[in-house]
Amino acid sequence: MNKKEFLNSLTKYLRGIPGDEEQDIISDFEEHFEMGKKEGRTEENIAGSLGNPKALANQLKANIMADRAEKETTAANITRAVFASLGLGFFNLIFILGPFLGIAGVLVGLFAAAVGITAGGITGLLGTIFAPLFPEYFNLIVNPAVGIFASIGLICFGVLFFIGVMYLARALFRLFIRYIKFNARIVVGRERRDEV
Amino acid sequence: MNIQFKKGVLELCTVALLAKKNRYGYELVNEISKSISISEGTIYPLLRRLKNDGYVTTYLEESKEGAPRKYYQLTADGKKMEKELKEEWKTFIGKVNIFLKGGVKDE
Repeated sequence: MNKKEFLNSLTKYLRGIPGDEEQDIISDFEEHFEMGKKEGRTEENIAGSLGNPKALANQLKANIMADRAEKETTAANITRAVFASLGLGFFNLIFILGPFLGIAGVLVGLFAAAVGITAGGITGLLGTIFAPLFPEYFNLIVNPAVGIFASIGLICFGVLFFIGVMYLARALFRLFIRYIKFNARIVVGRERRDEV
Repeated sequence: MNIQFKKGVLELCTVALLAKKNRYGYELVNEISKSISISEGTIYPLLRRLKNDGYVTTYLEESKEGAPRKYYQLTADGKKMEKELKEEWKTFIGKVNIFLKGGVKDE
């Protein structure tokens, strides 16, 4: 592999990171090649001792994506960080994707519960209000005032619950991003021994 | 040498080298790979992480041979981290050596 092939491969696997970061990384490696050539080494020799460009790109990308998700905790950035860290090795299917899906599943469940409670409240409220208009369809067993207050209470509880779950989601994902960064630091693809 | 050993000490070696003087990437790789065989490219993700975490800063300096080089310099945080890491390392190998010498008494 010569310099051009090495850098091309690096660029290919870095795809998706911000342009200025990519430029910065490429220029670091260009500098490295230049220094090596001044010492009389061949491009092939330098590329060989630099290691596998795909593994390097994956490592760089995982770090960059995790940093980005930490600065801006959005669903898209978290997903990118998770996928970038999957490139670090087969292991991460279990150690990253597993917990990620677990957390996401629990949160989806909680959000659904919040929506359900709110919807229940709204239905109750509408039902109580419109029940007298359609006596043939509705048969209220509680006092209308109680029904209205209970429904409003339920709506408020649902909305608060939703907001609470949002905070919980943010906190959990922050923690999770830190875990991804920690993971990126220690994980060594076991199946590729040349990767250190 | 064991792969996990190397990965673990690369960070320590890098900051220890930078504590003595500012260096550019190639120079760091050269110094380290003199004694420890590493995939030389690994140093660059490490340097980027150290920079992102605020342990090093970089600056460009013209060289006699032409193209400017990117130098790495420890920040105050970096110096502190280097000292702590070095102390931890010394304590750790001190303890490991006790085992290796078989000097642990049965209680």
